[in-house]
Amino acid sequence: MQARLTQLNYQEILMYLGHRGQECPAELEQQIHRCMEDVTKAAEPRLVYRILPVSEGQVQGFPLEGNDMRELLTDCQQAVLMAVTLGPQVEQLLMRREVTNMADAVIMDACASTAVENVSDHFEFDLREQLEQEGKYLTDRFSPGYGDLPLHTQSRFCDALNTARRIGLTVTPNDIMIPRKSVTAILGISDRPQKLRKRGCEVCSMFLTCPYRKEGGSCHE
Amino acid sequence: MNNLTLLDGAMGTMLQAAGLGLGERPEIFGMQHPDILERIQRSYVDAGSRVIYANTFGANAHKLAGTGYTVEELVSKNIAIAKRAAAGQAKVALDVGPLGELMEPLGTLSFADAYDMYAQMVRAGEAAGADLVVFETMTDLYEVKAAVLAAKEQSSLPVWVTMSFEATGRTFTGTTVASMAATLDGLDVAAMGINCSLGPEEIYPLIAEMRKWTDKPLIVKPNAGLPDPATGGYEMDAAEFARQMTKFPELGVSILGGCCGTTPDFIAALAQLPDAVEDIRPERRRCVCSASHMTDFDGVRVIGERINPTGKKRFQQALRERDLNYIMERAIEQQDAGADILDINVGLPGIDEAEMMVQVVKAVQSVVSLPLQIDSSDPEAIEAGLRACNGRAIVNSVNAEQDKLDTILPIVKRYGAAVVGLTMDKSGIPQTAEARFAMAETILENALKHGIPKEDVLIDCLTLTISAQQEQAVETLKAVRMVHEQLGLHCVLGVSNISFGLPERNNITTSFLTQAMYCGLDLPIINPNLKPIMDTVVSYRALSGEDVNCEAYIERFANVEPEQKVSAAPKEMTVETAVLKGLKQETADLTEQLLETMSELDVINQKLIPALDVVGEKYEKQQIFLPQLINAANAACAGFDLIKLRIAKRGGESVSKGKIIMATVEGDIHDIGKNIVRVVLENYGYQVIDLGRDVPVQKVVDAAIAEDVRLVGLSALMTTTVDSMRRTIEALRASGHDCQVMVGGAVLTADYAAEIGADYYTKDAKASVDVAKKVLG
Repeated sequence: MQARLTQLNYQEILMYLGHRGQECPAELEQQIHRCMEDVTKAAEPRLVYRILPVSEGQVQGFPLEGNDMRELLTDCQQAVLMAVTLGPQVEQLLMRREVTNMADAVIMDACASTAVENVSDHFEFDLREQLEQEGKYLTDRFSPGYGDLPLHTQSRFCDALNTARRIGLTVTPNDIMIPRKSVTAILGISDRPQKLRKRGCEVCSMFLTCPYRKEGGSCHE
Repeated sequence: MNNLTLLDGAMGTMLQAAGLGLGERPEIFGMQHPDILERIQRSYVDAGSRVIYANTFGANAHKLAGTGYTVEELVSKNIAIAKRAAAGQAKVALDVGPLGELMEPLGTLSFADAYDMYAQMVRAGEAAGADLVVFETMTDLYEVKAAVLAAKEQSSLPVWVTMSFEATGRTFTGTTVASMAATLDGLDVAAMGINCSLGPEEIYPLIAEMRKWTDKPLIVKPNAGLPDPATGGYEMDAAEFARQMTKFPELGVSILGGCCGTTPDFIAALAQLPDAVEDIRPERRRCVCSASHMTDFDGVRVIGERINPTGKKRFQQALRERDLNYIMERAIEQQDAGADILDINVGLPGIDEAEMMVQVVKAVQSVVSLPLQIDSSDPEAIEAGLRACNGRAIVNSVNAEQDKLDTILPIVKRYGAAVVGLTMDKSGIPQTAEARFAMAETILENALKHGIPKEDVLIDCLTLTISAQQEQAVETLKAVRMVHEQLGLHCVLGVSNISFGLPERNNITTSFLTQAMYCGLDLPIINPNLKPIMDTVVSYRALSGEDVNCEAYIERFANVEPEQKVSAAPKEMTVETAVLKGLKQETADLTEQLLETMSELDVINQKLIPALDVVGEKYEKQQIFLPQLINAANAACAGFDLIKLRIAKRGGESVSKGKIIMATVEGDIHDIGKNIVRVVLENYGYQVIDLGRDVPVQKVVDAAIAEDVRLVGLSALMTTTVDSMRRTIEALRASGHDCQVMVGGAVLTADYAAEIGADYYTKDAKASVDVAKKVLG
């Protein structure tokens, strides 16, 4: 399975930028589209994953903290560990633009967040299709930092997937992934159809930092 | 037996087969199961390996943190096992992989910390009796440089380096094969090459490229082909592997082994390979480079001169205020204008040149990919600059004085740089071309004596101002021709000095530049932002044939529209509207118009800031959103820049409503939020001392005290780094320095801010301006 990046979701970018229905002048729309193009061009999406056996809600030989994990994997026989990254070029582009044009940089940062979600979603979609042909079903995608799966699980995911060597993804001692526009996640595989939760805050990559959530709301209300 | 040196094959996959668990450290497993490890390594020796890699790949302080084992313990035990397995039939290499953390500027690991971790491993390896050190599977040239310097300075072991590339010829971090080869050739490693990631066939073209840039012995240690993406397994067998490896000895590659997916059978199969061709010595190409960008010496290459405080008031102000953003902008501007190399000069009375050189080199490298020229006469600043430099740099300069040659050239050699030699000495610049030529000869002779190859000696025959010494222009040109033709050396020349003091300087400068290039000048130091100057270079390249089919010339000039010097702003537009709409050029033009009748301070206080206030209010009421707020700030910035420049030019005090420190706290690297706040605060007339990201607690305290700052802004984006924020605030309080702290960042709330002891929680850039107004006025 290859990492795929397709057309970025314009609405999602606006959401990351804190858009709340204000009028968006034509020049700004053009600016956003220009940024989308630049980020897409600079992105070098890479992907690594690994399928591990699960029994009694636990990944074998790879115990994970928290109840959410156990719940997610209850019905599962296997789990997929995955990591995707947009690569360092996007970061370099952002650093440079932060010096020359801060507004572009902010927009590009939102574009890159959307892009890495895009790549993760495609992987999930492709895998789901492939598994369904084998009569297997995927659970939701769950990342370190969501619910009660601690953020520091990130470095264990990266170690287990050997992401530094396979896709150039490392984790700092403060659990920051570098390149920053990266995602690690786990999904369960079951031989029974899985009830997918309504897309909500607890399964969102912005869980910890969402400005809507901080104001007590959410982006999907 | 032939002249090939056989290495071993995979270790990780062999250990996994023997029971190594997921996420378990192989170095610990090996030490706990010495018999298993020895058996694997012994099987490689039996298969013909004459150098085996000890099981020490990840035995560094970062990866061992929290395991309860020390670097020394794991290195010595694993080397002892390897030595038993080798039993005198093979050499044992201390095997060292990447530290597992990305270095600055993308990551948080500093060069010094990386150096220390490698030094610790290398010392342990040498003490344990390793015969050599191999850095392998590396992907970041900067990390390699830290590793190689640590090995060379902290041990006497021979140093080998292999990096892992994608099929594109770049590593994950963007290092190219050519940059790696040129840089490591300069650092004088014993051998270099490629391992992992790819199979022999995919590595072949990359090694062929590497051969062009170095004549060091080459190493190839490929995987058993490409892995099956689903299983991660390798399909290739030993016979096929050996067949694909047959071509390497023809390229003179003499050190061969296997990486992921290979076994002792694979190594045994290599025994049948032919001898390596020994007299492969193509003419070595020369260049300077960053990790990702190569500037070869095969034509006219422009050295940008704008990062230099000499005669530039605004630049001097930036250095004094440590305004690295201003300097980074100058770097980006020059790269965009077509510079091939950037000269970095930070010499200014009252500035610690060596320290500033490091800051500026790092800042510039974070935003442009061009190779650098370290410009200083201070040996300490030169060495500091070279050390901080990622890639292969030029030193500007040494001259023909013996003590200068004896001091500077060893530094140049140690870091594998190229060097500019000025044809002058204690008695000054000779008046005749012949005398300057003689000095060039002296410089070359000394360089060769220090082991610096001829191709890396660049001679500057020195430009004198024709308004003062008119007859000297011809002498300079003559000297350039002599050096170029008789010594065959590359020539550097600071060109613009020629027209100093004359009107319409470009006439003289471009004419002189053309003549000098015709005489052999190939590394002009110029201002690439001046269009007529770059036009001259582009035209010359077309005439000399370097620009094949005049493609670059046509691209530059085919669709040029005549420049119209009219204001971009329509007549009825006000500066307020221009700012609100985020129109940069219009804001600058209108500011210029206003300055005809108003003072600088009045334009700021009566026009620009009220305009920003309107924007801020609209943002607060959610009538506009973030990108519009920043576009407006950017536009206002264009107006402020104009005013700053005017004030700096007449030597006035800079406009400042007070100083504010901004920092993204230790451990955190998300600094876009902080940078937004910086831009907006600057536009309100505050002087922001931007300490950057991942800023150590003590650095914030020191800066607050040294600069007597009353408002400190801290940013953190992660739950994991809010604690650094708390520690920074505590340290500021403990220092007794009287200042207020405002904090912001995605995970913070007003309650949280109060809990960690901040005076103000700022939810966005607008809020930080309100705080600044309150605290500083």
